Amino acid sequence: MFPHPQARLIPSGAEKGIGGDELAHYIKRAAENLDGLRPGPLFCAMRNTLASVFCYLGAWHAGRPVALLDPDLPPAALADLAERFRPAALLGFTHPLDGPPPPRTDVPDPHPDLGLLLATSGSTGSPKLVRLSRQAVLSNAAAIATALSLGPEEIAPTSLPLHYSYGLSVLNSHLVAGGAVVLTEAGLLERSFWADLRTYACTSLAAVPYQYSMLRRLRFDRSQYPSLTTLTQAGGRLAPELVEEFAAQAERFYVMYGQTEATARIAVLPPDRLADRPGSVGVAIPGGRLEIEDGEVVYYGPNVMMGYAERAEDLARGDDLGGRLRTGDLGRLDAEGFLHITGRLKRIAKVFGTRVNLDDVERLLRGSGPIAVTAGDDRMTIWTETADQPTRARLARRLAAELRLHWSGFDVRHIEHLPLLPTGKIDYRRLESLT
Amino acid sequence: MSHLDRLRAVFRVALNLPPDAGVDDLEYRAIPQWDSLAHMALIAAMEDEFSIMIDTDEMIDMSSFAKAAELLEKHGIGAAAV
Repeated sequence: MFPHPQARLIPSGAEKGIGGDELAHYIKRAAENLDGLRPGPLFCAMRNTLASVFCYLGAWHAGRPVALLDPDLPPAALADLAERFRPAALLGFTHPLDGPPPPRTDVPDPHPDLGLLLATSGSTGSPKLVRLSRQAVLSNAAAIATALSLGPEEIAPTSLPLHYSYGLSVLNSHLVAGGAVVLTEAGLLERSFWADLRTYACTSLAAVPYQYSMLRRLRFDRSQYPSLTTLTQAGGRLAPELVEEFAAQAERFYVMYGQTEATARIAVLPPDRLADRPGSVGVAIPGGRLEIEDGEVVYYGPNVMMGYAERAEDLARGDDLGGRLRTGDLGRLDAEGFLHITGRLKRIAKVFGTRVNLDDVERLLRGSGPIAVTAGDDRMTIWTETADQPTRARLARRLAAELRLHWSGFDVRHIEHLPLLPTGKIDYRRLESLT
Repeated sequence: MSHLDRLRAVFRVALNLPPDAGVDDLEYRAIPQWDSLAHMALIAAMEDEFSIMIDTDEMIDMSSFAKAAELLEKHGIGAAAV
């Protein structure tokens, strides 16, 4: 049953959580509010609030596919999504559409298996939506709960946005396991976040690499939060010294690997193997299987997406992938099935947990002179033949604004001449060796 | 340059604002440029510029330009100018 009868939601500041019959009642009411809406996906502005979670669970209960989107999407981006996907309704956005959502004439109804839509993060221009079946969402939540030994005693705060697959997986896995989730919109740099952690005796904290850098900077002291026994990490490679530092503080430190295309989680490294498998992202989650095919990490499991969607018609499609996901990552498996990620097949960077296609960035910068883009840990390097510093700073600002990522993720460097291969193409290997 | 002018310059660089941007009324998360990542860059830049060590509570409480100015005074920066 989803949510589990023991599961609780605790809005920041509340005396007690909402669970059991009371939670079921609210979800039913949220579902009834959707009665009479035309067919099509629901666009839900997904904040870390009770109202957003009720919207999500209400849609789920009503059997209606729901897209959980960034609540602060710029007006043009939201209008583009509405035009392409023809939602039944849009709920809760900071910048709502000017008029009613565009008509659904001649648009087929979504496929009955479709449960959840998440945006491929960080794409330039028009993001695709990842189509996840109800079964994929439930199976991934259950697999995570098993891999992390979650139960009714677990209490996690929302330390990541719920429209981000990792953040949502924390909510879903706790709802499946009968645990509790503290809903807070505060971040790691706000006092109320830490006050909630203490007040509600949270037992775990989920974070991406840049947040671990932040925790180090904040001189995070686990002994101040005795109930906090578990730390989890996903969203890109965490530097080995940070893994070591935080593993030493927590009773259980989980290094994990996943993709939105697999709902969230693909592999988890059991904490007791951290020491003898350094650098590994773990073994496939229960019910999943990993293979290396021509060097590429390929994942098989019930949590693999049905496929992408670029427009409303695609939402009517069934399962295009048959449970097989080519991850685009390069890797190797050792004899015991531990996965090591060694590189990327596609030109993709992960910047602060968000995936960005490097070729898209180069296209975006066409017209700014000779430019090449390469990836690093939590940042990308933009190589330009422009020596002028203010111009380079403007480039970083422009990318930050267009990609909605912090400018410090863009390292704009001067290079006399971009290195070329004999074919005349840019020598990216050479550039990467310079970072 | 007064310590406040130096602080303004640190804010503009750390938040990647134009050189003529007014910063005296800025508050954390009130503008997109001052998010959690920029906050860490700002803390680091202030520690470098004024040779001070900002502790965890101070990092979290520094939620506006005015609070940052107070923090400097607490660390004895600019006290002579008062």
